[in-house]
Amino acid sequence: MPGDPVELMISANPKITAADVARLRSFYGLDQPIYERYFNWVSDIAKGELGYSRTYRIPVTEMMGPALTSTFVLSTVSLAFSLLVAIPLGILCALKPNSRVDYVVNLFNFAGISVPSFWLGIVLIIIFAVKLQWLPAGGYQTTGVEYETLMEEILDKAAYLILPVISLSIQSIGRFSRFTRSAMLEAMRNDFIRTARAKGLASNIVIWKHGFRNALIPLITVVALSISSIFSGALITETLFAYPGVGRLIYSSIIGNDFNVAMVSFIISVSMVLLMNLVADLLYGVVDPRVSYN
Amino acid sequence: MDTLDTHNNKKLAQVSKEPQRLNKAQIAELEKVQSISKIIYNQFKEHKAAVIGAYTILFFVLVALSAPIVEKVMGVNAENQNVFHRYEPPFTTISAGTDTRENEVRKYIEENPESAAIVQAELIKEEFVTVSRPEDALYEWARFEKRKAMAAIRLLSIDQDIKTDLRNVAKKFEIYHLFGTDELGRDVLMRLIYGTQVSMGVGILVALSSALIGLLIGAIAGYYGGFIDTMLMRITDALLSLPTIPVLIVVAAIDLQKVPVLASLLSHGSESILKLIFILCIFSWMPVARLVRGSILTLREREFILASKTLGATDFTIITRHMFPNVIAPLLVSVTLGVGESILFEAALSFLGLGIQPPTPSWGNMLFNAQELIYRAPFLAILPGLLILFVTISFNYVGDGLQDAIDPKTIKR
Repeated sequence: MPGDPVELMISANPKITAADVARLRSFYGLDQPIYERYFNWVSDIAKGELGYSRTYRIPVTEMMGPALTSTFVLSTVSLAFSLLVAIPLGILCALKPNSRVDYVVNLFNFAGISVPSFWLGIVLIIIFAVKLQWLPAGGYQTTGVEYETLMEEILDKAAYLILPVISLSIQSIGRFSRFTRSAMLEAMRNDFIRTARAKGLASNIVIWKHGFRNALIPLITVVALSISSIFSGALITETLFAYPGVGRLIYSSIIGNDFNVAMVSFIISVSMVLLMNLVADLLYGVVDPRVSYN
Repeated sequence: MDTLDTHNNKKLAQVSKEPQRLNKAQIAELEKVQSISKIIYNQFKEHKAAVIGAYTILFFVLVALSAPIVEKVMGVNAENQNVFHRYEPPFTTISAGTDTRENEVRKYIEENPESAAIVQAELIKEEFVTVSRPEDALYEWARFEKRKAMAAIRLLSIDQDIKTDLRNVAKKFEIYHLFGTDELGRDVLMRLIYGTQVSMGVGILVALSSALIGLLIGAIAGYYGGFIDTMLMRITDALLSLPTIPVLIVVAAIDLQKVPVLASLLSHGSESILKLIFILCIFSWMPVARLVRGSILTLREREFILASKTLGATDFTIITRHMFPNVIAPLLVSVTLGVGESILFEAALSFLGLGIQPPTPSWGNMLFNAQELIYRAPFLAILPGLLILFVTISFNYVGDGLQDAIDPKTIKR
């Protein structure tokens, strides 16, 4: 990311004169000291004036809305998907520790944590988009299609989501499943589990109501901390699959020197992560009545 | 020592059940006190996957270090480009370009001018080549296919020594690419091996230096407590809550050459590597700092610390001599796990084109180059990723094994 915008204009226009440069600098306020420029920018942001995109020549606010929705859909779907896969896997392992199933799932978990998600994405594209041609290699929806029903729209967009969601979820599946296993093992060792079994409760109720409820507390911490990493990972996944979300916007604006877009999308992504952390903190209280916020 | 004694007693008890009696030496062996590192080592060996992981890492380190040897054995040069043979699939043999052949011949003529003259005369006499000037005979021979060139040598009536030398020259006429060639016709195997040096080097350096930073900050925060602790831990929390990849990208996009102080410090060749290590360190010391602070907080209340304070030890002595040995074991685990993570981050950044800059190969930027060509050369994209997967999974397993080994709850007695 080189220099300031005026330098870029100079390189784009060789006929520019020194007087023009000075005029441009004062027009954009670049001749002021750095702290003053910062305060100008912060007060503009606070007023909701996010500025214009240098590359697309449209207000940043117009770009942010659709991008945020797409990223939100991608992150939520992959979070839900990874929880749906990881929790049953983890519980399965915790109920039969050191069995063959446990070893296989453990290997899968380690592979999931260790695999670079972007590489997995490439491999998935090679297999499903290039060789088998079952799924699209990238994008958001089929271009130039008018949807007749809502169902049709959802199905079309879902096809584009499958590969990104898998490559984004694989790491969190590994992490969540390992954590569920250890939290569940710990929870099932409690005395009240034995009591519940002794009084003749169905094993499903013991597992889910007594065991899992207690395993949830450490799990929520990990899930909350992972939201940030899923969000970060979304940047690479979005770039790889050409999915029009905030992550790809951050990347392309940084690469393309689109300052306003870069800064705003960066602020939004950081504040989304911070917000998620707060939500996780509040969730403790819901899950565990012993935690109170007085 | 309590645990150690029960350890040996149990072993003795087990042994005494067996019918045959032990001789004195074996009993003495069993009664010997085991050091803690020995216990950890024995415990670590129980974790099969971790042991396999450790050997895998060893293998990769050895391969990375023996890069020049592999280069010689395979007869390839890592930097040689060959635009006529790009994207060759694995296991292909291609004939070398004219310039490579002529270079080899020129080298031969310069080194052995006398025998070269004999060979040139022979080549013309046997009418293998037709040239206007005798000096060109060898160059003309260099245009043959490898098999034809070898056959010509066999038919010449010259000394065996010269024949052997010529055969060595002719061997260079063909290059075997075990993993094929990349977008510039370079040998993928050699790129991968040099990439291993870079990627693993970055991973290990980042893990070690961020452990050092974390150790320092965690120790200061834990030992002094109060305001210093609050301040340092809030900084740690703040950095931890940032989304890693976007922040790394923003920082990586800063051109360090534009910063006046740093420009003179950085030489151009290794700039991107140093910069990457620096950036990754800034954002990976926090978990270590938290871990160290936690251990130091509990250590601070222990009697032996009070004892050394009473004896007049300085803070520095207490922290380095009495506290650090007690945090080394968990630190080791987090360094091992950190290496895997750093390799992944390096690969991710290089994959986005912001990490290690070509022509220096790293697994990440090999993937970056390959992703546009997945239709034509899918293997180019698959190989570096597989290596990343193998190395990271090994480091994670070793970390897991170490964790189990140092955890007193899991030690089997």
